[in-house]
Amino acid sequence: MSRVTRNRPLNPRRIGVITLHTFTQLVRMKVFYFLGFFALIVMVSNLLKIQDLGRPDLSGAEVLRSIRSWSLGTMTLFSVVLGVVATALLLPKDIEDRTLYTVLAKPVPRIDYLIGKLGGVLMLLFVSLLVMDLLMSGVLALRTHFVVAEQVAGLQARGWAADQIEAVRLETAKQGPTWSLQGAVLLVFLRAAVVASSALLLSVLSTSTLFTTITGVLVYFIGNFQGVARKIMSEEGMGFAERGAALAISTIFPDFGIYNMVDMVIQGEALAAVVVGKAIGLTCFYLLLHVFVSWLVFAKKEF
Amino acid sequence: MEKAVEIQDLVKDFRTPGRKLPLRAVDRVSLTIAPGEVYGLIGPNGSGKSTTMKALLGLVQPDAGTCKIFGNDSMQVDSRQDVGFLPENPYFYKHLTGAETLRYYGKLCGLRGKALEGKVKELLELVDLGGASDRRVGGYSKGMLQRIGLAQALVQEPRLVILDEPTAGVDPVGSREIRDLIFDLKERGITVFLCSHLLEQVQEVCDRVGIIYRGKMVKEGPLDDLLSIGDQTELILRDASPELLEKLEAMIRSEAGTELLRCGRPKTTLEKLFLQETVGRKHP
Ligand SMILES: Nc1ncnc2c1ncn2[C@@H]1O[C@H](COP(=O)(O)OP(=O)(O)O)[C@@H](O)[C@H]1O
Ligand SMILES: [Mg+2]
Repeated sequence: MSRVTRNRPLNPRRIGVITLHTFTQLVRMKVFYFLGFFALIVMVSNLLKIQDLGRPDLSGAEVLRSIRSWSLGTMTLFSVVLGVVATALLLPKDIEDRTLYTVLAKPVPRIDYLIGKLGGVLMLLFVSLLVMDLLMSGVLALRTHFVVAEQVAGLQARGWAADQIEAVRLETAKQGPTWSLQGAVLLVFLRAAVVASSALLLSVLSTSTLFTTITGVLVYFIGNFQGVARKIMSEEGMGFAERGAALAISTIFPDFGIYNMVDMVIQGEALAAVVVGKAIGLTCFYLLLHVFVSWLVFAKKEF
Repeated sequence: MEKAVEIQDLVKDFRTPGRKLPLRAVDRVSLTIAPGEVYGLIGPNGSGKSTTMKALLGLVQPDAGTCKIFGNDSMQVDSRQDVGFLPENPYFYKHLTGAETLRYYGKLCGLRGKALEGKVKELLELVDLGGASDRRVGGYSKGMLQRIGLAQALVQEPRLVILDEPTAGVDPVGSREIRDLIFDLKERGITVFLCSHLLEQVQEVCDRVGIIYRGKMVKEGPLDDLLSIGDQTELILRDASPELLEKLEAMIRSEAGTELLRCGRPKTTLEKLFLQETVGRKHP
């Protein structure tokens, strides 16, 4: 009489359905308005050359650097805020609206639900960062073209040798849309992904949007200062208990230090593939850890 | 025969912070529902009806006892393949339209393609929301929410449907529509487990009822057995003349050991009157 059972956990199609649904939900919450706002600011600031305002000495490569810095900074801010807020909204909202009852009353394993929710946020982060990246790369390519043309013309007038001009041109191009820059955007995405999965864990623990948002931001800051804190602690020499506490904190809270390579890229340094690989590995580790612990808590939760 | 629902000695305690003793919401409740039956659980607010249903759906963990749906333990995900649930005062994702809502729940149950589209259409027709299928659920009225909730519960063709106060907060017209839908389910052989405090409706649709009070099952059985008054008989006549009535009364009086308790016009219910004067009106 009983039908075939086909409700194993981690069913990719079911997770896909929840992911897509969560993505749609977030999009219809109009978070994409922020993107439009971003696009507008980038365009306008580029047209009005806001980067140069009050800094008349800014020239050539400096302008490009300022665009990179400004864009990556906005991307970081946007992705971290979105990662925390979107994740913090989703689960408590489902519980409060009791939509969770109807979802979990269907043959949906709870782990699939959690992964789907996180997947939706990651999808939103990925799509928005992609759009911003395209915009930034486009603007940067255009500006680099103009700056290089200007420089080359100036140097030619001064009678520089062709190989010297080529060297300058290459130096300036490093401030343009390089592969390292794309790597930096990827790092921004990975960082936001870890922020989102931390927020998921927090929201499972507390089921309160406000608490999750505040602690989520806190985790981000603690994560950023972990490297510094560790250095200080290792220098000062601590007792056993303090060292234990520090170890616990550094395990639970992700260390965002590795993602700060983004700053080096803004300065025009190249990003080694090894660093990107390491960041991807670390991100996967934290995502798995957070989802697993969230599931341990969520599996026993009552509504 | 395999039971549709089997609840055995279910106990559920809620521990609330600031309170020493846990609150016993359900206290050793047992009930079984045969396939095809319509079972009504009635009881005052806070007596543990919703908690019993949630335990049956694996939404809360029993402190003791077991719940089974068609032989599958409720804590197992597979038990939910065969059950549809309409929660108390349901809300759905406001950003979805009626059709999208059904599509989403259908996909969660593994439906797709033509089968899914056909099912969505059929259910929208069934609950009479065909015209509102492209509107966002956020703008639905209470009765419409209840109906889309019922459609959602039926999307994977479950053999058991659990309805938590399906007519609460719905006007008499909408409530009658929902009652008709329940009759429809019964006809199709679907087992229904519902709870309500609208006793008249429970009386109309249910085969068996259980009365739950302060977490305990106080009375349970087939509705006919529970309601019939053992030593009384009812006689309802149409167009009876006063002479006939007089003759009858005389006959009864002459019979030793029989007593005429009441004679008069049966009353219609206020609900029937309301329906007759509103939607049932021929000339508005
Ligand atoms: N999540 C919960 N936490 C604490 N107490 C609860 C919870 N859910 C229900 N209760 C309590 O359990 C009792 C039974 O509730 P419920 O099953 O919802 O009653 P009913 O559906 O019959 O109105 C009530 O006293 C209610 O306050
Ligand atoms: Mg209730």
